[in-house]
Amino acid sequence: MSNPYRILGLCLCIAGAIFVPVSYFIINSIPLTAVGISAIMIGITATVLANARPQISPEACQLILKTGMENTASLFEELGLRSKAVYLPSTMRDGHSQAVIPLVEGKDMRWVKEKIPGRLIVRYGLNPDDMAIAVSTPGSINNDMLENKPGPTAGQIESAATYILAGVLDIASSVRVRLIDDQIHAEVSGSRLGYEDVWYYRCLGSPVASIVAAISSEALQKPVRMKEESYSKGKNHIILEVLP
Amino acid sequence: MRIYNRYIVSLVVASCLINVLLASLGQNDLVMYFLINVLVYLMITLLFSYLNPRVKRSLNAIGAVFFAGFMVTVVIKVVDILSGK
Repeated sequence: MSNPYRILGLCLCIAGAIFVPVSYFIINSIPLTAVGISAIMIGITATVLANARPQISPEACQLILKTGMENTASLFEELGLRSKAVYLPSTMRDGHSQAVIPLVEGKDMRWVKEKIPGRLIVRYGLNPDDMAIAVSTPGSINNDMLENKPGPTAGQIESAATYILAGVLDIASSVRVRLIDDQIHAEVSGSRLGYEDVWYYRCLGSPVASIVAAISSEALQKPVRMKEESYSKGKNHIILEVLP
Repeated sequence: MRIYNRYIVSLVVASCLINVLLASLGQNDLVMYFLINVLVYLMITLLFSYLNPRVKRSLNAIGAVFFAGFMVTVVIKVVDILSGK
């Protein structure tokens, strides 16, 4: 009952239900009756919106996200990983998209032909030292929430990212995506999860960037590397590099 | 502002504007108020297509009920006009 949308909806419905007969039969005013009908319509809609609120509080969700991030960051820190993460499409893994962080920084990435195994430490290339840590990110989980697999154009990636970030998760207002050569430039406006200069974000990117990267990788069916991310005036500027 | 708040605010503003405008034009037919309100409701709901799938399903159901009401009202009006009432 503490849901504000449900309270608003019930108040509007009750007020409208009282107001309509009073204004129609007693006051004899059609415009006021119409106001009552509008109140009932908006009230029903607000009651339905109550379903959008998660079963657990946003604070609890943030706690779980932070715990997971800190544990992963401790692992990276312990291993001394500084490389930028590469987001893989689900077809390169066992049907579940993930990010890999190469153990050796600045190497040319030549991918093995077969699927990368679903383990923590994986070999992604032909050379024996082409080893990486494979982890699930907020972005990899989100791909399952998409109704359809996005196509490879900037518009389709933008549409899918907007659907997830603005609609399903409600953590941003809008997303703009541009494809420039082998780079993807994304601008996320009204983001409620900013960029922090911490180990986790430096490797995997912020949760917002991670979602954009995972969607882009799935859309293009190619690995995508987190190249750059900055946050200014409520906007996340993300640059991703599409790998061959 | 959250997308759901934006949606509710859009509906409230639109319905207020419609009711004030129709009243100022001297409209005294309740059916006309209902039809235009439903029409604008459906248009605004369509514009917010990025809502959570669970909510979108519920809103589609409500939209279908309003649309049925809209159609019934329109059919009654058309029958009235054709029968010369």
